[in-house]
Amino acid sequence: MTDEKKAQEDVLPAMAHDGIHAGFPSPATDYMQQAIDLNKELVKHPAATFYGRVVGDSMIDAGVEEGDILVIDRALEAREGDMAVCFVDGEFTLKHIHYTENGLRLVPANSRYPEIEVVEGVDFIMWGVVTYVIKKVR
Amino acid sequence: MIALVDCNNFFVSCERVFRPELEGKPVVVLSNNDGCVVSRSNESKALGIKMCTPFYKIRHLAENGSIVACSSNYALYGDLSARVMSILADAVPKVEIYSVDEAYLHLDGISEDMMPGLCRSIASKVRKWVGIPVSIGVAPTKTLAKIASHFAKTYKGYGGVCMINTEQKRVKALELTPIEEVWGVGRKLAPKMAGWGISTAMDFAARPREWVDRKLGLHGVRTWEELGGRGCIEAEKEDRRKSICTSRSFADMTGELQDLSQRVSDFAARCARKLREEGSAAGEVTVFLHTNRFRYDMEQYCPYVTMRLDVPANSTAEIVGTALKALRLIWRQGYMYKKAGVIVGDIVASDAVQPAMFDFDGELREKNDRISRVMDAVNGSGKSDGNSLLRLASQRPGNYSEGIRSDYRSNRYSTSLDEIIEVH
Repeated sequence: MTDEKKAQEDVLPAMAHDGIHAGFPSPATDYMQQAIDLNKELVKHPAATFYGRVVGDSMIDAGVEEGDILVIDRALEAREGDMAVCFVDGEFTLKHIHYTENGLRLVPANSRYPEIEVVEGVDFIMWGVVTYVIKKVR
Repeated sequence: MIALVDCNNFFVSCERVFRPELEGKPVVVLSNNDGCVVSRSNESKALGIKMCTPFYKIRHLAENGSIVACSSNYALYGDLSARVMSILADAVPKVEIYSVDEAYLHLDGISEDMMPGLCRSIASKVRKWVGIPVSIGVAPTKTLAKIASHFAKTYKGYGGVCMINTEQKRVKALELTPIEEVWGVGRKLAPKMAGWGISTAMDFAARPREWVDRKLGLHGVRTWEELGGRGCIEAEKEDRRKSICTSRSFADMTGELQDLSQRVSDFAARCARKLREEGSAAGEVTVFLHTNRFRYDMEQYCPYVTMRLDVPANSTAEIVGTALKALRLIWRQGYMYKKAGVIVGDIVASDAVQPAMFDFDGELREKNDRISRVMDAVNGSGKSDGNSLLRLASQRPGNYSEGIRSDYRSNRYSTSLDEIIEVH
């Protein structure tokens, strides 16, 4: 910690007092906690987290539908079976990642879509790992 | 030792994060109103497109598809910059943010053998997490670190990190660096240097100190010392501790950026007015935020950041603008802030401001100073800026200007939920 930072934190206000109360204090104060903050729960790496919107039905069997919001964490390394946002053929695409002997297989969750074999020479970027899918149900 | 982290072709790189298809293509980013080129990919540089080229001169290239032109998207660049800076702040104890795409890391206490590895891991983390490529120069002084970062960027062999840590490397680097590329030597000064027979940084560093002092004064001597590996830009700063601080605790905590922007604008405007009242100008602006330390139940976050001005300033426009930039860098969602403040430091008498060595817009400065004088005259003194008749438009909430030409603006992918990437 730098000196300036320390100096700032060492400053105490002249008075730290939560006012003068008449009557009984609220019995609820003892149980006060901060409300659940989804930002904190769903975003482990704020500097590396971006969002994406699902278009189409290529992952429908995994429960991911058009319009869903993806929480994408670029800090993570994709593990076997992860859902990831990839950049292939000029567009972002959502796929399950499977490791093979020669490279990667990108697998959709809809039998109407083809699997993509990623071997050397295929233009491919693993953009980020999906950690949550947010769905609007009403 | 000091490291300069410099984001490569920053605005273009920001565009490429969300449009990877632009990788390998000639891309330019245009200034406000699509006026002129402010950022170029390496491929655009190779086509001979110069910085500040007016867009009308290359519009045909954009229209026939030989280059890709993007309108500037400052919401995007600002957000990605803040992400890069937060990664740097996590990596080393002291970071000095110099501009939207550059920061100095103070590496005191880290052994020299560890530095290249540390810098490489920082570079690859920034690249992976945010998607921005950076070059890092390590050297005993800021001016040399800047030169080192240029080598790291230009020559692939360095792998993005170049360290000047021996006398031999220093001399070689200075011999290869044209004098006009040295930090603090403006383009205006280059012809003068040429007249004196100085074409490389080494030619300049080899002159006697007395000669430099006679010809260029204090600023010249500083640059000369820095090139010699003797840090003085920071030492100078430590001597002058004088600063003006405006800060307040809030009646209610707030987590909103817009809310904080207004308050920080007011604090900064007040600092600027105080500077003018005492006839001085500030060389740096610090903004800090505090959460409520007495609420043990809440997450604590007390960030601060200092931004340097190229030339000391006291106009409301410059001080407020810089403070808002600083605020955007440190503000994080999810915290409730109880206090904010603005400190202007590195104060000099305003008539002692020496712009000679720097390449800066004197006309704009004069305009800002005139506006400030009018504001002071209309607002009178002693009144708080909150009640002032004349205020900056930038102090108002909502920072997206209507009616500005931006025909080629990309989405605000990281700051607007309606504009996030589409995934098929």
